[in-house]
Amino acid sequence: MEAANRADEFIPAGLASFGVEADDVELAVMGAAHAMFWPPILALLELDTNGVAPEPDPDLSRPPAG
Amino acid sequence: MSAEAALDLSLRGQAAAIAAGDVDAAQLLEAALGRIERRNPAIDAVVETFPERSREMLANAPAGPLHGVPVVIKDEWPLPWRAQRFGAAEMPVPSEPGESGPYLALRDAGAVIAGVGNMHELGSGSTGAISFYGPARNPWDTERCPGGSSSGPAAAVSARLVAGAVGADGIGSIRYPAAYCGLTGLKPTFGRAAMAGHHMAEVSTTIVSGPLCADAADCRLLASALYREELAAGEAQGLRIGIVRDTVTDDVAPDVRDACEAAITALREETGGELVEVEVADLEAAALATVLIANTEGLAGLHPSRLNGLSPELSPIARGLLKYRLLLPAAASVKAHSVRTLMRRRLAAALDRVDVLAWPTVPAVAPPLQAPLVELPSGTLSADQANVRGAALANLTGAPAISVPVGLSDGLPIALQLQSAWGQDELLLDAAEALERANGRRWVDSLPPLAQPEPETTEA
Repeated sequence: MEAANRADEFIPAGLASFGVEADDVELAVMGAAHAMFWPPILALLELDTNGVAPEPDPDLSRPPAG
Repeated sequence: MSAEAALDLSLRGQAAAIAAGDVDAAQLLEAALGRIERRNPAIDAVVETFPERSREMLANAPAGPLHGVPVVIKDEWPLPWRAQRFGAAEMPVPSEPGESGPYLALRDAGAVIAGVGNMHELGSGSTGAISFYGPARNPWDTERCPGGSSSGPAAAVSARLVAGAVGADGIGSIRYPAAYCGLTGLKPTFGRAAMAGHHMAEVSTTIVSGPLCADAADCRLLASALYREELAAGEAQGLRIGIVRDTVTDDVAPDVRDACEAAITALREETGGELVEVEVADLEAAALATVLIANTEGLAGLHPSRLNGLSPELSPIARGLLKYRLLLPAAASVKAHSVRTLMRRRLAAALDRVDVLAWPTVPAVAPPLQAPLVELPSGTLSADQANVRGAALANLTGAPAISVPVGLSDGLPIALQLQSAWGQDELLLDAAEALERANGRRWVDSLPPLAQPEPETTEA
């Protein structure tokens, strides 16, 4: 099963775990968002950033230190 | 000069005319309010005026650089007499009237707030197609999106209700509407422009306030007020312009690509500069990282019981997306911060070789309000999905960016985005002015149908 197609299970179960209710229209919106965001989220998780030295508490008004 | 005619001057022109005594500021304010009354019903750019408050502001206005000049401020900033509504029936966190940073900056510069600008509901869209007030409409074609989330400020300036407006940019929200409405819009370096009083001020690492105006000189004037420092003008000579070849920057509509390439060539020639190909890899991941960061920074205020009590007047899209935020995985949020670090270093490395990066602000012209979709070489995408790819890098890294009009396609504006290193906001304004010179101010002086000067009326 494609990851994005699991919205029917993932979203209601996820919301239920927080005790959050949603109507059918909201679920449809979340399903569309899930289809759009989930595949790139999975791709993002696969992105190798192990070699990236952390920049703790970055000052976003300036270039990165070092 | 009549006050009505003065409304068609630039922001700096209005300020100069008032300072020289050529225009009466009180009459200019009344003319602006009158024009809002006449033109606004077609575009819903301004959601509220408060003539007595505006007159009071003018009566107490100091002799600042914007003395007596009417402006619009986005519905994202509290005013002493009005809490922001964020384009929504209900704010995600409680809001109250107050003296926000942009309000204080405008007041201290002598400006007069003539009205509050519409915006995309909860700031969560690049089109402006959804708002509690009904969507703002694009003055170039009122069936088209004005861009979001600073939809009203952009539509108000584009229709020449006022000559300048203050927006906010968390993920492109000044640059998208500037692009769609044919304006110049500056996203300042993070932390440089007034931000106090924003409901996310304490937690957001992406949002900034910034100006939307007809051209770069007006943006410089309004930004100087918001920064509380004068942004000096330079020449941008010998500008090294970075071109990034990436699926994100190349997946644009042909007319947009052609106009932006012509503008980049013209900018190079005007500045005696050079074009340099540079690499900034993983722009798509950077866009997603920005979305994840921006959508999770406010989660502390979105507890489940609050989500169960959301106003039914919020759009189903807003309600669904607010709830969906709870389901975003923490691992992705952590990874997003790693990507931020990575992209900050990559951007810094690229900007060691060039002065600015240039690519289209948005990949296609303003889509229809009824179906905000864009046709790109890769296929049909929602405008939100397509737009974020080119805009997010500046918000993720904190660096400044500017959107400049560079053409029209079927009567709709096309825009080029320039990005520079942190703190070099002035260089972006210099480059934008050089681009205006290069094309003879053709695009910054273009007016949508709604903004054509009205015939003077004479009293019987």
